[in-house]
Amino acid sequence: MNKLSAKRTFLLCLVIGLILIVAGGLLFGLAGFNPDSSARDYTSIEVADNGYMENDPNFRDALETVCTEEIEGQGYDIGDVLYAAEASGGAGRLEFVLTGEMSEEDAASLAEALDTALASGNYAQAGSSYKDVGDISVAWHDAVYEPHTEYIWRTSVGIAVALVLLFAYVAIRFKVGMGVAALVAAAHDVLLTLALIALLRIPAGPTVICIAVLALLLSVFFECKLYGKVRQDLAMEERKGMPAEEAVMLSARESRKGIFIGAVLAAAALVVIAVAGLIVGFDLFSFMLGSLLAVIVCTYSSLVLSPALYALIKTRSDARRAERSKYNYASEKAKKNVNQEG
Amino acid sequence: MGKKKSAALIALITIVLVGLLFICITPTFPVKSPNSFRSLLSIVDLGRDLDGGYYTVYYPEGVISKSEYETLKADYDYVAENTSEGETPSVEDPAENYVAYKSIYLSEEIAAESGGVTEEFAQSFARALRGVQLRFEQRGLSDYSLRVQDDYTIRVEIPKLDHDDADAEALAQNMFELFSYSGELRFTDAHAANEAGTAEMDGSDGNIRSATTEDAGDQGYAVVINFTSAGRAAFRDLTSALTSSDSATSATVYLYAGDNQLLGATVTGTLDQSSVYLTGGYTQAAAETMATLINSCASADDVFELSFEEPEYYSMDALMGNSAALVAAAAIGVLVVAMIVFSLVKFKGFGLAHAYGFVTYAIAVIACISLIPAVQVTMGGIVAILVASAIMVSCNYYAFNNIKKEFASGKTLTASVKAGYKKSLGFTIDVHAILVLASLALWLIVTGPAKFASLVFLLCIAASAVCTLLVTRFYFYMFSAQPKNKIAFAGFKREETEDE
Repeated sequence: MNKLSAKRTFLLCLVIGLILIVAGGLLFGLAGFNPDSSARDYTSIEVADNGYMENDPNFRDALETVCTEEIEGQGYDIGDVLYAAEASGGAGRLEFVLTGEMSEEDAASLAEALDTALASGNYAQAGSSYKDVGDISVAWHDAVYEPHTEYIWRTSVGIAVALVLLFAYVAIRFKVGMGVAALVAAAHDVLLTLALIALLRIPAGPTVICIAVLALLLSVFFECKLYGKVRQDLAMEERKGMPAEEAVMLSARESRKGIFIGAVLAAAALVVIAVAGLIVGFDLFSFMLGSLLAVIVCTYSSLVLSPALYALIKTRSDARRAERSKYNYASEKAKKNVNQEG
Repeated sequence: MGKKKSAALIALITIVLVGLLFICITPTFPVKSPNSFRSLLSIVDLGRDLDGGYYTVYYPEGVISKSEYETLKADYDYVAENTSEGETPSVEDPAENYVAYKSIYLSEEIAAESGGVTEEFAQSFARALRGVQLRFEQRGLSDYSLRVQDDYTIRVEIPKLDHDDADAEALAQNMFELFSYSGELRFTDAHAANEAGTAEMDGSDGNIRSATTEDAGDQGYAVVINFTSAGRAAFRDLTSALTSSDSATSATVYLYAGDNQLLGATVTGTLDQSSVYLTGGYTQAAAETMATLINSCASADDVFELSFEEPEYYSMDALMGNSAALVAAAAIGVLVVAMIVFSLVKFKGFGLAHAYGFVTYAIAVIACISLIPAVQVTMGGIVAILVASAIMVSCNYYAFNNIKKEFASGKTLTASVKAGYKKSLGFTIDVHAILVLASLALWLIVTGPAKFASLVFLLCIAASAVCTLLVTRFYFYMFSAQPKNKIAFAGFKREETEDE
């Protein structure tokens, strides 16, 4: 790979990365992440009773069916049905989380219609309505999510400290240039992963912070793998005579297998759980999808961005070193002139 | 290692690993009624996303729920029906005292004529909302969520703080109740909030620097209140005033948050110290909740005056589905089996050593996450386990490939193993060292789900370091003593060249 292509690779990666990060940042600033069920604002219909639901699962199932039919019959979609039991008493609550926008008037009239339906519908042909059997009350609620501000800023500080540690460790154990490249790549990985989650509108809640941390740790592993190989190879006699870029890119190519093994192992595990998530719950699927993005981004940056950046840094530093060690004829001549004049 | 010694070690280690694996992953089964065997995996504390938790709705004073309004109305209707004509019912009509707003009812005192609430109430509510949220954020839970419901109530969801349902319920009740307390802190000897004490000391941040927790041995956990120098002097004066009178040689000092008594302690003399340790049979979680509340009430910026009704709390299902944890565990199990089969096929004898090494690693990880009380596994934790496991496997494969290369260069098997491991040592140490440092920094600094995921990762990567650097190599050494053809056992082939 010649000098121009290494530079081009780095610039291309940088431009793509920056565009995606800025676009993702803007979208996040304007609309935030696409919230998953743990971070979503929602309107819900709550059907509460005095304990009959907890004691009689058949009653609860029948009640859920009747309510679902009534709500859907009114033309609304149910995103989730949650059941909660009062821990200290025994009263039960069925909460029908509705999807889509809904006005207060619509929610109120839906609750009223459901209340009427439960007052008239007979439970198990016993002659008593659901409302009489369970002393049921129906209410609608809107709930607005409050963001976790402390989680966000403390994780940002934690990631910044971990990045500094990464730089210091790689700079001391390997080389300063490798430290710089690892630092840039790790920061790039964390930001690009979050930007892509925002851009692709992958549902995310507070646990998206874990994906950022995962991206950082995975990036650290891949960078170590890459620079471990580069350091080992650069010490080899046959590589010492090679141009810096060529030597770095060759080592990077040879470290691909190791990086791929790590990436494939992590990705396989995430894919399996993501598939399972499609069955048990969509939040599990979306979390695994976000994590998978982190694996892809980290693999890409350690295979393409990071070696290209280090190749450039090493070329420059080698050139500077060569410049410094070059014999300076001009200064020798000047010295002679001064002596002659003296 | 001799063959007999190796065979004995293989048998012993296999029995130990199988036994430990049984303890770690066997599903719960009854042993002797009413007892049942519970594996380590079944006692792992799980987060809100995998095991559900509890929620409550905080109703500020003056705000009631629709069901409470309906109960009041039914009471009134019943009393009114049974009241003679011309007489006033003994119960007030809620319709006269409350105004409907969304699905809640606002008392006349806080309802604005133009609809909604008065400006004063809105400001108090906004401050209380911030205060309550800070308490839950600073409590250091693996996850929580807070929503404003119907504009003027607060819905909070928290994870279970113990794998035992009864303990988890008690801890949730305690937290919901304590975090609803409003008002400033004060130390006094008054037995009730509305009584006047003989001496009093305010618990503002001018006097209290922080509240922490400490292990108090047999007495459970202690809440430690650290005073500022002014606070130390004020507490000395308070205890001196209470115990120096002729009538009393000991007194009880109570700590109040507004009108709520938090705790009481007997003092028998003047206490002139920078910290006081308050024990009361607290569990660690209960002590941390109390310390968080004290820190919140001591801070002038965080304290609020709006009172909340005593909260009712509800158990709730796992956010990611009730079977998410089970499915994740089953999926990981399948992956592990697939990885072991692949390793055995690809690396033969090394694969066998790796399989034993990985099982040892898995046992160590399960033991750590189930027995260390600070660990709570969320979905982030599961991903941390997966990534750390991938790193462990990757490091072993790297070593095996290096051994293969060394063998291909013409070295003997023993020399290849030695050289291959030596070649991989630097990388393995570097990877584990930097990952331990990074995850340690994250665990110490961050909060919420990322903190718990970092801790799980830290434990996993420490186990990985030991298993990769020592255990797997030892297992290979142990196994390789058995076969006659060690080279075939390792899955290598010596290329024979014919002399020309």
